[in-house]
Amino acid sequence: MDRDRLRADVKELLVTGLRLDQPADDIADDAPIFGEGLGLDSIDALELVVLVEERFHVAIPDEEVGKRAFGSVNALVDFILHERSA
Amino acid sequence: MTGHRVLVTGGTRGIGRATALAFAEAGAAVAVNYARSPEDEAETLVALRATGATAVAVQADVGDAAAVERMFGEVRDALGGAPDVLVNNAAVTHDGLLMMLPEAAWDRVLAVDLKGAYLCARAALRGMIAGRWGRIVNVVSPAAFLGHAGASNYAAAKGGLVAMTKSLAREVARFGITVNAVSPGLVETQLVAGVASGKRDEIARQIPLGRTGTPGEIAAAVLFLASPAASYVTGTTLHVDGGLTML
Repeated sequence: MDRDRLRADVKELLVTGLRLDQPADDIADDAPIFGEGLGLDSIDALELVVLVEERFHVAIPDEEVGKRAFGSVNALVDFILHERSA
Repeated sequence: MTGHRVLVTGGTRGIGRATALAFAEAGAAVAVNYARSPEDEAETLVALRATGATAVAVQADVGDAAAVERMFGEVRDALGGAPDVLVNNAAVTHDGLLMMLPEAAWDRVLAVDLKGAYLCARAALRGMIAGRWGRIVNVVSPAAFLGHAGASNYAAAKGGLVAMTKSLAREVARFGITVNAVSPGLVETQLVAGVASGKRDEIARQIPLGRTGTPGEIAAAVLFLASPAASYVTGTTLHVDGGLTML
């Protein structure tokens, strides 16, 4: 799967999975997913962990990995690609 | 509880077995965890399956993270999915006055009674969040609220579990998951049978209802907290102790 397609899938998952009130195209590639911006907090991240694990078949076992994976949409795309190739 | 999958840790005897049986009778598929005692396991499974329920026994020391992960895999395979009701009931005691209490006795009781609940809840939550429904019931003790001379390790573990119950309830409420505790008073189980009879008599005299409880009376409270009747209850402790604590 190419990076652009994966990035679009990740944004779509954010919007549908976390029920965001904005179009997927409006989500910035490099802004933090949690905290400012999308109005998501660290508890929403729990749900994203479950959604990302199910959808992309990668493991986000703890906070340390989660912080890295959820740094931004691009960071999450990199994480998924890296885990899949591992 | 038809359609639900329940895991009861320490589920082959005493309060755990009665709880597993109550869920089986209510129509749930039930997994009972045990650390040792294969004879209790067989007997419990016979009783559970006599209700017509799907039932499985899974061995694991709940204080061991790797064992807990393996156990959850076995439960998913046997019940056709992750448990959406978790009863953290497994507990051990190793009594002694704190000044003379061996470090190993402190560590072991905290590992099973407190860390075990953390490990099992951690393993169960992904499935509950995915399903946007879950029930976690932690079995605690009046020792958490009143203190218990000679059991500071057990009291500390159970007090910690009460605090964990409240904190986790706040963390996962938005996902339709409730987290509560049941505090059984003096109930006729093997764990309590280990308490010196003089001490038990002394406790019994302080119980307003004037008698010990039965495992079935505790099981009814656990089942209630997992049932639709308790849909607006989270973060609390239900004291099922004949009036011993009154909090």
